[in-house]
Amino acid sequence: MEKACVDINELINVFSNTQGSIYQSDKLNCFYVDFGGKFARYNCLSLQKLKKIVENIDVEALLLNTNRADFELVTFNGCEHIYLLSALEIVALKDLLHGTFTMFKLNHMVNDCLNRLVY
Amino acid sequence: MKDLMRIKCLISQDIETLLNQQIKKEAHSSSLYLSMSSWCDQNGFDFSADYFAKQSEEERVHQLKLFKYVLDMGGNAVSPEVTGIKTEFAGFREVFEDALEAEIAITQSFKNIASRCHKEQDFVTMEFLNWFLKEQREEEYKARRALELFEVIGEEGTGRWEIDKHVNKITYSEQ
Ligand SMILES: [Fe+2]
Ligand SMILES: [Fe+2]
Repeated sequence: MEKACVDINELINVFSNTQGSIYQSDKLNCFYVDFGGKFARYNCLSLQKLKKIVENIDVEALLLNTNRADFELVTFNGCEHIYLLSALEIVALKDLLHGTFTMFKLNHMVNDCLNRLVY
Repeated sequence: MKDLMRIKCLISQDIETLLNQQIKKEAHSSSLYLSMSSWCDQNGFDFSADYFAKQSEEERVHQLKLFKYVLDMGGNAVSPEVTGIKTEFAGFREVFEDALEAEIAITQSFKNIASRCHKEQDFVTMEFLNWFLKEQREEEYKARRALELFEVIGEEGTGRWEIDKHVNKITYSEQ
């Protein structure tokens, strides 16, 4: 989905770094990952899968291995998107996803305190 | 902002990962017991072969119990790949030593998950785990009792034949 198709004002910026942003739509219960020249939609499960896969990429091994290019193909079963990323971009994506999930955790705590635990 | 991850799933990703690892461990136990059953059968220990076959089925039930819980809580339960099952044993006694060792490892693994639950204050999963913690009492007791038969009866003469006959009679009662 292209950026223009989504009304940007409806989206909540969960986390950003210099390379990209991740947004949440409370209306559609989904996420948008703005990264690597793509604006891609994810649901809860697929965003978790993306995080797991990116987390598991060993950047050091990628750089030290002289038999292959320093690029990695990032996708997974059932994912509509494919990323071809350099080592630096992978580091940035790791950071982006890590920051996003930290914000999810924080948001969960805030929700607990402000909404769920008040009576 | 909506708490979307929590709306989707009761358990945290860390707990989900630990439970999926446990699903794999139970599957591994099930395969290991089946392998032990095969070895016992081929070496003429019929009662022990039955005992381990039954244990294998129980481990499968444990695996499915965990599997269902992860799915019921909205998580992603992963069907595990099981490899590296031991098929050769040095002797009758080694089979039982391995069985006890495997149960001890499983108990330790559940303690580890329980400790994570406490840390996260995930009392829902903790309550679910209680069944397994209690089950491990019985599992370790039976494995330990079986191994003790080697001391009590001894392997000499018709000892192994005698041990085999008694393995199936081990039962555990809380009272
Ligand atoms: Fe078990
Ligand atoms: Fe067991």
